[in-house]
Amino acid sequence: MADRKSKLSRRNFLLAVGAGSAGAAAVMLAKRLPQAEPTAEAGDNAKGAGYHISEHIRNYYRTTEV
Amino acid sequence: MSAVIAPVRDEPIRLTREDVARADFYALIAHLLYSPDAQLLRSIAASDEIAAETANAPLTQAWHALVAAAEACEAEAVIEEYENLFIGVGRAEVMLFGSYYLAGFMMEKPLALLRDDLAQMGFARNEAVREPEDHLAALCDVMRHMVQGDENQEKPALEQQKQFFARHIQSWYPRFCDAVLESKSANFYKHVAHLIKVFFDIESESFEML
Repeated sequence: MADRKSKLSRRNFLLAVGAGSAGAAAVMLAKRLPQAEPTAEAGDNAKGAGYHISEHIRNYYRTTEV
Repeated sequence: MSAVIAPVRDEPIRLTREDVARADFYALIAHLLYSPDAQLLRSIAASDEIAAETANAPLTQAWHALVAAAEACEAEAVIEEYENLFIGVGRAEVMLFGSYYLAGFMMEKPLALLRDDLAQMGFARNEAVREPEDHLAALCDVMRHMVQGDENQEKPALEQQKQFFARHIQSWYPRFCDAVLESKSANFYKHVAHLIKVFFDIESESFEML
C-alpha cells in the first residue's frame, strides 16, 4: 500500500482543462429525471471511503503551489 | 480553481479540486469523442496549466502532447480525421461503442445492461442524438455528472462511479485506445487516445483503492 501511495504521489494533476469544460452542457446524455430509486444510504461507509480516496487522489493529483 | 457548490437540501456539496479536474477531463474527452470543432481545439491550446511536481509524469506528458497537437493541427483536418476514424463509409475504422468490444457487435447485451443502469439513474439521450448510449462520449457524460454530484446526494458517490466505470468502461477502453494509436488514419487523435488511456488508468487505480 505504501508503494502504491508513493507511486501515485508522483503523478500530477492538471487544473483548468480547456476553458471550463465541465461547465458546458453534456454532449450525449443528460440527467432527465430524478433517480428511480433513492441513492443508496450514503452512510458512514461511503463517507469513510470518500474521505479515504480523496486523500490518495489529493496526493497524486497534487499541484505545485506557486 | 474554486470548488463547485450546489445546494443539497440545506447542505452544499463541496467538490475537491481533484474532483473538479476529473469532471473537466471527462467533459473534455466527451467533447473530443463526439463533436470536435475549432473552438474546442482553441480552448485546449489556450488552457492554463499548473507546473507539475514531476514534469515527466505520464498525465503531464500526455496533456502537453495534446495541447501541442491542438496548437499545431487545423480544425478542418481534425474533423476530417475524426470522421475517417470513427464514422467512415459503411463501417468506422475504430469503434466508439462498448458493445462492439464487449460482445463483438454493436447493439448487444452490454448496451441493454447499460440502458437498465441509465434508466435507474435517470439519464436519457439529448434530443438530436441518434447513436446508442454505449458511445464512449456518452459514458463520459455520465461519469462527469456523477463526479460533479447532484442535488440528491450528500457527496459525490465514489462507489457509484466505481461501479459504473467498472461495468461499462474499464474492460474495453485499452483496446479502443490501442486501436486509435495503431491506426494509420490517426494523427491528432493519437494524442487524444493517449490522454484517455493515462487518465482512465489513473481512474482505475484510484477506484481500486476504495
